[in-house]
Amino acid sequence: MVGEAVKVVEFRIRRYDPESKKSYFSTYRVPVLRGTTILDAFNYIKDNLDGTLTFRHSCRMGICGSCAVNVNGKPMLACYTQVLDLNADVITIEPLSNLPVIKDLVVDVQPFFQNFKKIKTVLVKPVETLEKPEEFIQHPEDLKKYWDLTLCTKCSICYSACPAAIDERFLGPSALNTNYRFIADSRDEGFDERLKAVANNVWLCTSCNSCTLFCPKLVNCANSVVENRSLLVETGVIPRTVKDVLESVIKYHNPMGTHQSKRMGWAEGLNVKAYPNVAKADVLFFVCCSTAYDIRNREIARAMATLLNNLGVDYATLGAEEWCCGDHILRMGEKGLFEMLAEHNVEMFQKFNADRIVTVSPHCYNTFKNDKPYKDLGLNVQHYTQFLAEAIDKGKLKPSKPYPKRVAYHDPCFLGKRNQIFEEPRRILQFISGLELIEMKRTREASFCCGGGAGRVWTEEAEPEKRPCINRVKEALELGAEIIAVACPFCVTTLEDATKVLEVEGKIAVKDILEILKETI
Amino acid sequence: MEVLSHDIVIVGAGLAGLRAAIAASEVSDKLDVAVISKVYPVRSHSVCAEGGTNAVLREKEGDSYDLHAWDTIKGSDFLADQDVVEFFVKQAPEEIIKLEHWGLPWSRDANGRINQRSGGGQSFPRVCFAADVTGLQEMHTLYAKASTYDNVTFYNEWFATSIITEDNRAAGLTVIDLKTGEMHCMKAKAVIMATGGYARIYEFTTFSHTATGDGVAMAYRAGVPLKDMEFVQFHPTALVPQGILITESARGEGGHLINAKGERFMKNYAPDKMELAPRDVVARAETKEIEEGRAFVGPHGPYIGLDLRHLGEARISERLPLIRDIARKLGGVDPVKEPIPVKPAAHYTMGGIHVNIKTETSLAGLYAAGECSCLSVHGANRLGGNSTTDCLVFGRVAGEEAAKYALKNGFKNIPQQKVLEEEKRVYDGIFGSEGGEKVSAIRDALRKTMNQHVWIFRTEEGLKTALKEIRQLKEKFKNIKVEDKGKTFNTQLVEALQLDFMLELAEVTVVCALARTESRGAHARLDYPERDDERWLVHTLAYRTVDGPKLSYIPVTITKWQPTARKY
Repeated sequence: MVGEAVKVVEFRIRRYDPESKKSYFSTYRVPVLRGTTILDAFNYIKDNLDGTLTFRHSCRMGICGSCAVNVNGKPMLACYTQVLDLNADVITIEPLSNLPVIKDLVVDVQPFFQNFKKIKTVLVKPVETLEKPEEFIQHPEDLKKYWDLTLCTKCSICYSACPAAIDERFLGPSALNTNYRFIADSRDEGFDERLKAVANNVWLCTSCNSCTLFCPKLVNCANSVVENRSLLVETGVIPRTVKDVLESVIKYHNPMGTHQSKRMGWAEGLNVKAYPNVAKADVLFFVCCSTAYDIRNREIARAMATLLNNLGVDYATLGAEEWCCGDHILRMGEKGLFEMLAEHNVEMFQKFNADRIVTVSPHCYNTFKNDKPYKDLGLNVQHYTQFLAEAIDKGKLKPSKPYPKRVAYHDPCFLGKRNQIFEEPRRILQFISGLELIEMKRTREASFCCGGGAGRVWTEEAEPEKRPCINRVKEALELGAEIIAVACPFCVTTLEDATKVLEVEGKIAVKDILEILKETI
Repeated sequence: MEVLSHDIVIVGAGLAGLRAAIAASEVSDKLDVAVISKVYPVRSHSVCAEGGTNAVLREKEGDSYDLHAWDTIKGSDFLADQDVVEFFVKQAPEEIIKLEHWGLPWSRDANGRINQRSGGGQSFPRVCFAADVTGLQEMHTLYAKASTYDNVTFYNEWFATSIITEDNRAAGLTVIDLKTGEMHCMKAKAVIMATGGYARIYEFTTFSHTATGDGVAMAYRAGVPLKDMEFVQFHPTALVPQGILITESARGEGGHLINAKGERFMKNYAPDKMELAPRDVVARAETKEIEEGRAFVGPHGPYIGLDLRHLGEARISERLPLIRDIARKLGGVDPVKEPIPVKPAAHYTMGGIHVNIKTETSLAGLYAAGECSCLSVHGANRLGGNSTTDCLVFGRVAGEEAAKYALKNGFKNIPQQKVLEEEKRVYDGIFGSEGGEKVSAIRDALRKTMNQHVWIFRTEEGLKTALKEIRQLKEKFKNIKVEDKGKTFNTQLVEALQLDFMLELAEVTVVCALARTESRGAHARLDYPERDDERWLVHTLAYRTVDGPKLSYIPVTITKWQPTARKY
């Protein structure tokens, strides 16, 4: 590459020497031109500064999948990322997660490839048909249905970013995507055996969306997982725990197994207005099944109501007519049931006159914003962190009491990764005096899922070491955090459970931001 | 050091290697097949193939085997062996259908049949394609199929360093397990080389970093002659400045090549076929435009514009999504809005291990298929879309022939001395060398030399300069220092071994180019600008001797088509 260096960038690269078994960082200063990719930087270092730096690469055009590494915490192809686009003077490079390191940035990808042996990766058709000399007919519309799913280069980025993959039973996003790619291929006749291959582990996925987010070929693997599940639900081949959740929703319109008449039980003594007593308010507070019914999480709903009262906001809830938003149900693949819930809630949103809807759960927020039929209403919906950050900015909410704790903020997947809401929760926490806010190592888009999404909070079956929440709490403990702050009731449930399993409740507590705020006003 | 043994050992897991593994396993499930690859199979350079695979599928609509053969032979500037080409075109359709039956998502026409588009130098649209990621789809399909056979063992990230011969028979290979750094001996009844081409000896190339011609060099060192090494194809449309391939199908879909004046200059060089003339014709045209000052000039020097704007966003997104993404991410232009900056790059090596129609070499039990071999199907210039077909057709032949041989012949004993010698060459001679020369410096100097003196237009003076410089670099190589002293996954040692192979192949290429005093196909001599069928309708064979490559010549097989003037 010719041209003048635009700037010099410092590369901090994690090394691993297999002979001494030592892990350490090496720092290099690399002159960067317009167009220099991370791979170009690696080659520059190896050729000019340190011949021992070891990494994989081949095609340098984003098609072979060799060069995936973690760049400032996020997995990506080194050859397909321009250094200047990262807008950073210091770039930290580490090997991909979830795979054993062989040397420096080279990881053992065999565990990733093993998963493909558990599914069929060729077309399934009767032998006589395969021996015919003619082509199979496939119309362009049919090819379009699965073409995008065939673009996977098996780079293993999705697998390395996946929280469910810490359990080796999980086939991983790429293999599950390939499985669905064949089911969706109109030529294939292997439906039954393909579903069988994934039935026992597809439920470990939490729909955190990391796979789709980081895929360099834009393959929507998260969606393929949901499609696999959807077919399992249709054929009735689902585990008991999943059946229980779905049956509860059919019967009670919520996954918590409790009659809707008890839905306002959390608000005892708080004077919360609810439909049908009122049909109009500035703010429609959408409570969420978890904070409405879960004994521990009711504190979160109560904290929200207390803060809204303190702010003097004119708000109300839908009362017993607030049905489950359906987000978890949709990610579990039960599209029909989701539609039933959504249709009802949409009807209620149309009946109730409100300027905006504020949710406690990022899951409710996510589905109202992104999934039909909710999405078509163009609702003015906010997560509470957006609403309260606004209130703090305007000086309406004044947290005055100090909160002298070391607090690590965990970005909930459905708030952060999926909806890009990173700053507001942090703004709220930073406003509180005495609170020392620390970042988790895996932060923002690279946050590590608590393991609760897509119904896994209810269907969890894995051994402790293979549960994402245990992994995440360990990370917080290593940072010396006293509190893990979250903004999602499902994160509270899973992470708190992890502190109990690890027997560290004395050392570290899990709190929703609402609960922290309540203590400071 | 372990002694491993398999009935058939295939070196290289690209299209040809994987196809051979499948074919051998189909002959008999009692055969034990090993596939050795220095990268995981799906990382092979074959995944970079974009545009498609040629085959005659629509005879009822006017295509024919004779037409495909004629296009190939004329494209080869009449150096192709016509009996091989006739066999090749007849086997191609079956390969397309087989891939489809295994699951490959070919792009379709409105009636749901496998779609085909136009290719350079072809008189009928017969390029079968899967958008512009045909190589990716073929590789993943073949890898999936090859993985279904219990008798196929993959040795991933194992590096083959030499072929061991005993009594003019290929007895096995020496291989390094990159994970441990240990060398092992692998005995085989039959060996298939499928390691790809060697265009990485050039600085500006479409090739992956890992495609360094290892098998070609190994065969050469084992006493097998290389054929037609002077013929290197320069692809007209490689992205500036990296050299990343922009598929010929961009022109097949209707793209234009323009100079700084906005002219479709191909009208002055190939008025009939225009942008779809064969690659050597277009590459020379572009070079002339650049040399005569009519090209665009940018921050990375002169370039030609590949204009796709008139195709429209919908068609580009459907047929050419990969190159659009690459142009945007790595080239800084959106082809929907601006022409893509391109110029010719070293792209394919027509020459390689000399094999016959059965993919047999002069060494018993050694076969070669794919770009590392030279049959010759492609002669002095290859048509776009014919290489992937070549890999499939002859990958299958190699697998079948090797299987038949392995069923009839036993293992040959390998004296330990031979393996110890190779260990000494690699570990003492190269890994342990404590000189002052950097591997990367020699490598870059080699690539620069080839770029400057052995490019599209060659002269005696330039070639002689190149030869001198290469020989100096070979001397320098004896004095290298491999900084990385670790045994586990030593990529610097791999680079040194690859450079060793590349220096060898560069020397052969230049010596053959010097000797051929004519211009034919991709080999263009400014001092001998005409094609000379009287003296040069022959293949060059190069044998390794202590004094350098020794050349001899063999005739071209002509069946139906007499050489004519090559105009497009």
